[in-house]
Amino acid sequence: MPDAASDTAWSSAADIAAAVTAGEVGATGVIEAAFATIRERDPLLNSFTTVTERRARMRAQALDAARARGEKLGPLAGVPFAVKNLFDVEGVPTRAGSKINRDLPPAPRDATLIERLEAAGAVLVGALNMGEYAYDFTGENVHDGASRNPHDLDRMTGGSSGGSGAAVGGGLVPLALGSDTNGSIRVPASLCGIYGLKPTYGRLSRARTFPFVASLDHVGPFARSVRDLALAYDAMQGPDAADPVCADHAVAPVTPLLTRGIDDLRIAVAGGYFKCKAAEPLAALDRVASALGANRDIDIPQVERARAAAFVITASEGASLHLDRIRTRARDYDPAVRDRLIAGAMTPATYVIKAQKFRRWHREQVLKIFEDVDAILAPATPCAAPLIGQQTFLFGGVEMPVRANLGLYTQPISFIGLPVVAVPVPLAPLPIAVQIIAAPWREDVALRVAYALEAQGVVAARRPGL
Amino acid sequence: MKRKTKRKAKPARTRRPVRRARKSKAPPEATSADATDAMVAASARALGLTLDPAWHRSVAVNLRLILRFGALVDEFALPDDAEPAPVFHA
Repeated sequence: MPDAASDTAWSSAADIAAAVTAGEVGATGVIEAAFATIRERDPLLNSFTTVTERRARMRAQALDAARARGEKLGPLAGVPFAVKNLFDVEGVPTRAGSKINRDLPPAPRDATLIERLEAAGAVLVGALNMGEYAYDFTGENVHDGASRNPHDLDRMTGGSSGGSGAAVGGGLVPLALGSDTNGSIRVPASLCGIYGLKPTYGRLSRARTFPFVASLDHVGPFARSVRDLALAYDAMQGPDAADPVCADHAVAPVTPLLTRGIDDLRIAVAGGYFKCKAAEPLAALDRVASALGANRDIDIPQVERARAAAFVITASEGASLHLDRIRTRARDYDPAVRDRLIAGAMTPATYVIKAQKFRRWHREQVLKIFEDVDAILAPATPCAAPLIGQQTFLFGGVEMPVRANLGLYTQPISFIGLPVVAVPVPLAPLPIAVQIIAAPWREDVALRVAYALEAQGVVAARRPGL
Repeated sequence: MKRKTKRKAKPARTRRPVRRARKSKAPPEATSADATDAMVAASARALGLTLDPAWHRSVAVNLRLILRFGALVDEFALPDDAEPAPVFHA
């Protein structure tokens, strides 16, 4: 484990917080080191769109002063973090990857999750690049440029939380936040070789984030270790009246449960639709399943239809959100996003309503599966990181469009809101993730499995040679 | 000519859950290229959208994909009392 005081570019959040709490390093020193790394590496990665230096310095100084007064610091004391630029940051227009939103007034208040992370001692250092309005799986952005994969700068980060993947995978920050409507946390986690948590739908507050598809939008953290993922998740849990979807669940900390082991867990591998023939995802899944002794296949019913229903809901709700802007500022959109939104506005309402009915039916079927298993393993992406600008990829010998299919395995899972941890398998030359899927509200199960795999060395965030 | 006997009307079906998917049907008419093109033009007028002609093809390609996925969902039989999940609690 790198020393937090000397290697802030690859230290874990847990180590940084411990070092700051112990007084081995000041929060100010950690933040200055983070800014130095951002200045050095972000010209390569293009992950940041805003750097909040003044605010972060004030925050770090306040933490150091609090420690000097003998006050107890939070579990994320002095940990730098950044957020996908659809999270409101006080004083900054919430651009959501767009040109249009830059005309919005500065946000008057931080998003709930930023407030909660900072209440735990973390320090916001900036906002991150993303696919326009989150309608993206690639991490490419026509306005801000593509975020670049830390393991190969010519390759995609995945999206839409592409800057989050690049910033954490590239060692600029140990923690970042993203959003996931159809896979936008899990896809970049997979392509950038880091951990990502998409919690249960309704678990974490989306208050003061720019929406995409209200029925499917989730928010969650990225990190380079399972413990960091759990620490961030625990700091952000809790009801929030400002997000009507955020459930009224009591905070259930998972960090203390990580070391509990997994002997009591029944783990299966998703078959059928998820039975992948492509070499990279198959190799990653085999490695994880073998390490866990998971040799039982389970068939999730109607997965292809679940993906189709998610696609239809996304198209229609996304279009509804943007229709006025499309009428008045169509030429200010990324043309690919614009044309999808226009088509989405033409979706027959009967299909959308049927998709929402199917969604409830599908959830009931999948909940029955969780009576017999505790966690399900599935590929995260159908391939490792494609080249930036690459239009198609070979999947089981068939040429398929990249943009539409990077979410092939993530979309049906978020459709019914299941919690998932994407764990990075450090294949060479490029990493790729596996999804650990649990029953609703059982993030603890997915995180315990991830922790056990990390302890075995089967999954890991490999340091890139930047 | 032998008169055909009138077929007896089937009794009204009781409401019961229909859980199995029907066999796939042919894609609906709207997914054909011409029909989608017409749908794009008509929908744009109805929605008050001014489409640059250069965008039309791309919009139509996207709409065909949505309609194909929509048809896949639509052909799945659900009971009449199936509830949608607009505010979903997992």
